[in-house]
Amino acid sequence: MSANPDKLKLIKEHSLKMICFGIAQVPKSSRFYLGGSDFKVYEVDLAANKFEPAEKYAHESYVTTLALSGNQLVSGGYDGKLIWWDTEAKKQIRSIEGHSRWIRKIALSPDGKILASVADDMVCRIWDLQTGKKIRELRGHAEKTPSHFDSMLYAVAFSPDGKWLATADKIGHIVLWDLESGKQLYSLEAPVMYTWDKVQRLHSIGGIRSLAFSPNGKLLAVGGTGKIGNIDHLEAKVRIEIFDLEAKKQIGEYVGDKSQGLINHMQFAPDGTWLIGAGGANDGCMVFLSVKDKKFLRQEKMGMHVHQFLTNEAADTIWSVGHNRLAIHELKA
Amino acid sequence: MRKTYCGSHEHGYNRRAFLGGALAAGAAAFTDMTQLNSLAHSAMAGELKKQQKRVIMLWLAGGASQLETFDPKPGASTGGPFRSIQTDIPGVRISELMPKMAQRLKHTCIIRSLDTKNGDHGSGAQLMMRGRRNEATINYPDLGAILAREMGRADSKVPDYVSFYTQTEGRGAAPGDPGFLGSRYAPMELTASMMPENLKMLNGITELDHQQRADLRELISKKFSKDRTSVTLGSHNEAYQRVRGLMASEKLFDINQESQSVRDKYGPTQFGEQALVARRLVEAGVPFVRVGRAWWDSHGQNFETHQEMVPELDHVMATLIDDLKERGLLENTMIITLSEFGRTPGINASLGRDHFASAWSTTLTGCGIKGGVCYGKSDAKGERVVEGAMDAGSLFATIYRALGIDPQKEYFIGDRPVPLVNPGVKEVETLLT
Repeated sequence: MSANPDKLKLIKEHSLKMICFGIAQVPKSSRFYLGGSDFKVYEVDLAANKFEPAEKYAHESYVTTLALSGNQLVSGGYDGKLIWWDTEAKKQIRSIEGHSRWIRKIALSPDGKILASVADDMVCRIWDLQTGKKIRELRGHAEKTPSHFDSMLYAVAFSPDGKWLATADKIGHIVLWDLESGKQLYSLEAPVMYTWDKVQRLHSIGGIRSLAFSPNGKLLAVGGTGKIGNIDHLEAKVRIEIFDLEAKKQIGEYVGDKSQGLINHMQFAPDGTWLIGAGGANDGCMVFLSVKDKKFLRQEKMGMHVHQFLTNEAADTIWSVGHNRLAIHELKA
Repeated sequence: MRKTYCGSHEHGYNRRAFLGGALAAGAAAFTDMTQLNSLAHSAMAGELKKQQKRVIMLWLAGGASQLETFDPKPGASTGGPFRSIQTDIPGVRISELMPKMAQRLKHTCIIRSLDTKNGDHGSGAQLMMRGRRNEATINYPDLGAILAREMGRADSKVPDYVSFYTQTEGRGAAPGDPGFLGSRYAPMELTASMMPENLKMLNGITELDHQQRADLRELISKKFSKDRTSVTLGSHNEAYQRVRGLMASEKLFDINQESQSVRDKYGPTQFGEQALVARRLVEAGVPFVRVGRAWWDSHGQNFETHQEMVPELDHVMATLIDDLKERGLLENTMIITLSEFGRTPGINASLGRDHFASAWSTTLTGCGIKGGVCYGKSDAKGERVVEGAMDAGSLFATIYRALGIDPQKEYFIGDRPVPLVNPGVKEVETLLT
């Protein structure tokens, strides 16, 4: 039976001692890897009698992102490092200085052979997953905001056919790349995602925090937040924009009326008709939107600021992680 | 202007006398300003450097995080994602966001043990600008006003107290306030632009017209106040007397008067440019300049806020220290970095830190303060002070003493003596040169 957002139901939740930013699943198993604010990467079996994450290895700062392909787990962190871990041999394979600043996200190509990492050094680097060798660097984002402060490169996503890559930054600039040549195809703009407040606070915040291609590769969803009035508390409505990649223009704008904060992670449903986004501010949220109807299907409070989630292949089970919690939801009839 | 001549004998005499010397006086005033603008090369500047003490306060409005600046706790559950780096004080590490200050701490005293017990923006700002809480019957002057009184020169042609606070957030909670000292010591508040508004003489008014107006106003004021006693009236009169000097100080606020290389050193941000103006002002003899940099109130995304703002603070502090040092001014100029409070060790659900006044940090640099000192200590998680607890009063007593002002010095409100700090409050002697 296909997943149905109307049937959203919390199945189980677990407390975590850290803020969890990254989660990866051993395919078709109950085993997961978690990374977070205590600098560590854990393995946990959700089918075990007791929820007991086991520490595997550590970074020197927040672990913000994980990717798993075969027996190779790769983690990225605010220490700028990418660490490879062999999940079968249970040993570290390599640790490299991937970036000079915070690594925000790593993404795996659909064939599981290539890794893309983005960081606040404003460079996207492409890596051979097997060897750890750098294949190329993609530079298309300004290092400084228009107000002379350091910018941030938050998001990266592969197209479903693995030929394209999208990257997005703090000021709402999105670049589409041809992966084979490493050349920019074109760029898109989502300026409302970035708030620079010179008069009230002389401070910027926001940015595009998440990207997701539709399964047919024709649409790109861009997630973040709208214009922030109260920067102190991120009190702006969640915001998702959808771009048509052939027309190179925005075709959908989704502004939460029941949920505030940043959309940190997104994923289209397998048939591409709807999309899941999650994030939040103080109160976390998970939103479901209809691509065709251009409206929210649901906006749910999560009880935690969500940083990432995974789904199974049918997208009828969601594992989400965030502030001190891991939650399991189902969308089954 | 002539229409305002009242026709009295007294006014007529003064007017004639004034007109006789007006041109010379006007010329003298502006000659003085010219000198002020080139102080770095004048003999007068050298004398000022020897004698006059000044303060630049970098007011980190909203509450900067001690954990992301001067008291990092890397690896602690409260520590956040940033690493610490070694400084030029052996054994002392600060946030990796401050590499420039890490190389200049030999000039600076870090105080890591403020326990000020007030986590409210408004009353916290009042406390940290005065060193004590107002009482029901006494509105105390803030640091700037006291230093304007203690260190300002009676014949000064420049303002005694200038305050930049260009952002709107928190401005109302932290206004410059002369308290019972009266408006004579109120700050020149710059909120809308880098340049004081209405400083230029109106078109169509000559220098002579302007002086004649001042003369008439003084005459009328003296007649009005002859049988009256009022602090406010007196301070208003003094303020008027200073207007001409302030008008002539216009160029001090203009960073275009600086070379491009100096401007580049301070950088293109508003905070950097205002810090450069602050240096120009203290160089010209302004005793106290506050540069308000808003808004550090990072209840959400604390680390990104500090990733944006701390490197700018690091750059501005380091540049100020270098510039003042190169100009021979650091010995007599104190740089204070201060907020109304710090931020909680606990990280909230929005990756933010909240208000926290129990164990936070400040820095003092230059003028009577020992450099290379790290005073006080918070515990491993930064949750409380475990060594050298310091309250706002002790901090202010230390600042006064370093500037050569006796903290026990008394002002009088009527017959009531009011010391600069509350009775029993002591300076921390180990921080003084």
